[in-house]
Amino acid sequence: MNVILSIAKTTVGEAIRRRVLLVILLIGVLFLVIAPGLQTLSARQNFAVLTSFALGIIQLTSAVIAIVLTVYMIPNEIERRTIYTILSKPVQRWQFILGKYFGAIAALAMMMALMSVAFFAVFYIVQPEARSQIGNIAKGPMMFFVQMSLLAAVAMLFSTFVAPIVNMFLSGGVYLVGTLFNAVFQTISENDQLPGLVKGAAGVIYTVVPNFGQFNISNPLINPGTEIKGETLFFVQLAGYAILYITVALIIAVIVFDRREV
Amino acid sequence: MSLAIETKNLTKTYKARGGKSINVVNDLDLQVKSGEIFGFLGPNGAGKTTTIKILLGIIYPSAGTASVLGRDPGDTEVHKRISYLPEKPYYYEHMTGRELMLYYASLFGIRDAALCDKLLERVNLSNDKNRPISQYSKGMQQRVGLAQSLLNNPELIFLDEPTGGLDPIAHIEVRDLILQFREEGKTVFISSHELSDIERICDRVAIINKGEIVQQGSLDVLLAGGSTEVRAESVSDSLASTLREKGGFTMSYSSGVLLAEIPDTVNQNEIIDTLRSGKANVVSVIPRRRRLEDLFIESVKDDNVAKGRKLFNMVDKGDQEEKV
Ligand SMILES: Nc1ncnc2c1ncn2[C@@H]1O[C@H](COP(=O)(O)OP(=O)(O)O)[C@@H](O)[C@H]1O
Ligand SMILES: [Mg+2]
Repeated sequence: MNVILSIAKTTVGEAIRRRVLLVILLIGVLFLVIAPGLQTLSARQNFAVLTSFALGIIQLTSAVIAIVLTVYMIPNEIERRTIYTILSKPVQRWQFILGKYFGAIAALAMMMALMSVAFFAVFYIVQPEARSQIGNIAKGPMMFFVQMSLLAAVAMLFSTFVAPIVNMFLSGGVYLVGTLFNAVFQTISENDQLPGLVKGAAGVIYTVVPNFGQFNISNPLINPGTEIKGETLFFVQLAGYAILYITVALIIAVIVFDRREV
Repeated sequence: MSLAIETKNLTKTYKARGGKSINVVNDLDLQVKSGEIFGFLGPNGAGKTTTIKILLGIIYPSAGTASVLGRDPGDTEVHKRISYLPEKPYYYEHMTGRELMLYYASLFGIRDAALCDKLLERVNLSNDKNRPISQYSKGMQQRVGLAQSLLNNPELIFLDEPTGGLDPIAHIEVRDLILQFREEGKTVFISSHELSDIERICDRVAIINKGEIVQQGSLDVLLAGGSTEVRAESVSDSLASTLREKGGFTMSYSSGVLLAEIPDTVNQNEIIDTLRSGKANVVSVIPRRRRLEDLFIESVKDDNVAKGRKLFNMVDKGDQEEKV
């Protein structure tokens, strides 16, 4: 356990010093800060537009950070040969993978927290009458964090067998499909008019690709009238879903990495 | 004597582009004894790093077997008792020397800041231990690398080209540290092509070329049988020309002084006898060890790879005789 924590800690230390990530983070924060300014262009300057825009920025920025952070993590250790010093010590490969993963999501959590704080500060200033909503809106970034943890696990799995650039497209593609088209594949897989092969393929995609879309709870958040039914249970189910997928992804990552020559 | 490392027919095959396989390590039989400093010599690309990675369990052999401290390489129990300094290491540059030591110590399950400080002191980095490693010179980085290799007080240390790319001062510092390891009874496995270091530090060596061992044995045995230098005075001109006619060795002669460099293949006694019976005064007979450089060059010449197998067997027999 200590070994995993040590590796995670070092990974965080490295991640928060990576310039690319800091630049992406800075751009995200910048958009969050100027968001109210952009809005004055639109007729309705209201709570909903600001919130959905900001949550969108947080989601997009976090997804890019999650991917860029994770795809290079293991390849960099190999390229710089730091992994040899680690694996020649009494460190098992699964401990290395877990340490890297937990380090990645800890760094991600820090960066997402920073963005959220920036957003809430802006919100606090420009939406004085809706300040009481901040606690509720915070659920949005929190669910995005669960989503990004899942994305990071997927990217980490791919990084055990493909090169970083390929992985970026692969993980990005999986994220897009899982965010936007999951429902489409589900519909296809349930349409009895289509040939079995098409149905089957759609079913496989629908099952294998994590359903990222369900973690986006912007809609209920920006429409104060709508409530999430059975909210606690809903969140527990989402978290359970994410943990299951993360566990499976990391187990496969460990199996692949165990056989791999570095 | 127990063996710290033993490999039998160790082979590593990589698929080259175009589907052709090449044996990067080919049928390697290594024996490294406990407590010795073993030099693993070979030109670039000979397969040294690949062999070390197999011995650490980082990559897996395609054929043959390897054992380290009597167990499988890669065994976590073995990893507690060994350490490794990679070739051209890179460290997390945001860390200070001290943070790096603490990190690596934690990977051994060691939480002992005093130990880290002591080891940094030992490699003379006490004053720089709180500076980021990005500001370290190459020599300092190599010293911090050696310090981390001592964290678990290992029985066996792997050093991959530990003096590569260092300036002369840093070179000597690193070499002296390695010599101290021997005094502590550690087994050290050094890969290098820095012949002067190996010649000075190592007890035994293996020379590897294109994945195959071409020489293995103790340096004393491998480098013995060079030549003998004989110096004689009061040598008459006629005696000198008699010897010159004999041939088979190089000599210089002027005003009664003769200097002969007699290879071991020639009967040296006969020449000395001839000198003495010719009333010359033999002032010195000095056996000259062969230089490692000569042995190395000779061993890695392309056509010697096959021949080397025979040579290797021969040398090993000589080695055993010496130990008896
Ligand atoms: N993963 C790999 N795939 C293919 N060839 C490799 C791989 N690793 C090393 N080689 C080749 O094996 C040979 C030996 O490499 P190496 O063991 O690093 O040599 P050395 O350490 O003696 O300089 C080199 O020709 C190198 O290109
Ligand atoms: Mg090498």
